[in-house]
Amino acid sequence: MTRNEVEALMPFLANDTLADAERAEVEAAVAADPDLQRELAALRVIRETMQAEEEFSPGEMGLARLMRSVDAETNIAANQPRAPRTWVWQIAASVLLAVVVGQAAFQLGGSDPGGFELAGGDAPAFTIAFNADVAETDLRNLLLDANVEIVSGPSALGLYGLAVLEGTSSEEARALLEASPLVQSLEVADEP
Amino acid sequence: MDQNAQILSRIGQGDKAALAELYRVLEKPVYRFILSRLNDPFESADLLHDVFIEVWRSASRFEGRSKVQTWIFGIAYRKVIDMHRKRGRMTVTDDIPEVIDDSADTEACLAAGQEAEHVRHCLGTLKEDHRSAISLAFFEDMTYGEIAEVSGVPEGTIKTRIFHAKKLLMRCLEGRVQRGAAA
Repeated sequence: MTRNEVEALMPFLANDTLADAERAEVEAAVAADPDLQRELAALRVIRETMQAEEEFSPGEMGLARLMRSVDAETNIAANQPRAPRTWVWQIAASVLLAVVVGQAAFQLGGSDPGGFELAGGDAPAFTIAFNADVAETDLRNLLLDANVEIVSGPSALGLYGLAVLEGTSSEEARALLEASPLVQSLEVADEP
Repeated sequence: MDQNAQILSRIGQGDKAALAELYRVLEKPVYRFILSRLNDPFESADLLHDVFIEVWRSASRFEGRSKVQTWIFGIAYRKVIDMHRKRGRMTVTDDIPEVIDDSADTEACLAAGQEAEHVRHCLGTLKEDHRSAISLAFFEDMTYGEIAEVSGVPEGTIKTRIFHAKKLLMRCLEGRVQRGAAA
């Protein structure tokens, strides 16, 4: 081992991390050289001084901040996979609603053959969005209770247009729909 | 498997309590290392936060080839370099420093080395990679192999950096004592 190699390893003799073989070589070199002995003493003192320095780290405040960030990240990650499910749900819902509309048309068709059309016929009175976890049965019951029909939708945002059927005022239907926990949002549609 | 590796394995499975546990074990040394490189407590706290966020994101990819502590210091090391690059503060150090010919007065170094203020000042005069190598060796008691792993360079490079860093540090300490005596 050259003198430079010994000198390069002196800090690692000071921090006591040299492997046995290297330690033996460096220690032998130090034992034979008073300058290296003084250097080793100085390095040990420098190390001790550095380790004795008190740093005021972020501590528990930093941990709380970290946990907030992790929670936010976890929530985002948890919500991301829901997007495809919502999309699937919208397709399923549109199919189911078409069945509902078809069923209603079939049931009511005899009593009022001219007053009922599939989605796209009447101008909608309301624009509505349903909660994502609504069961088809509950949705059908709500539409029948409010005496409304779906006349358009779903849009890309999952919005449906609702028309109010005869025998019910817009205000009555609106009040019933707004009170329902199945409804995410309800707005009066613009005049055509 | 060492204890930190077991904790990291739990973090990889999304265990937030394990993250808190590892943070409590390593927060101080990692912060101290970052602070020794940035010399700014606020920037250092931000970077410490970023390091542990990366630990959270990457824990499942830890392959166990190194100690957990070395792996995390490596993350901190790279983030410090990124920050310096962004701010144009990066300095290249693997060239030969100017004043390394004569041996420093080791008696003077011994005296100055006992004064935290002198040591802090002289560490601050070192270039980035020299300071990093000395910090990891003396704050964290790492082997030169571990420092090489953290820094992503060969062991020989670390020995060279340590060789020059030690000389410059001792020369600076000697100068502090001599200037103090002359004053």
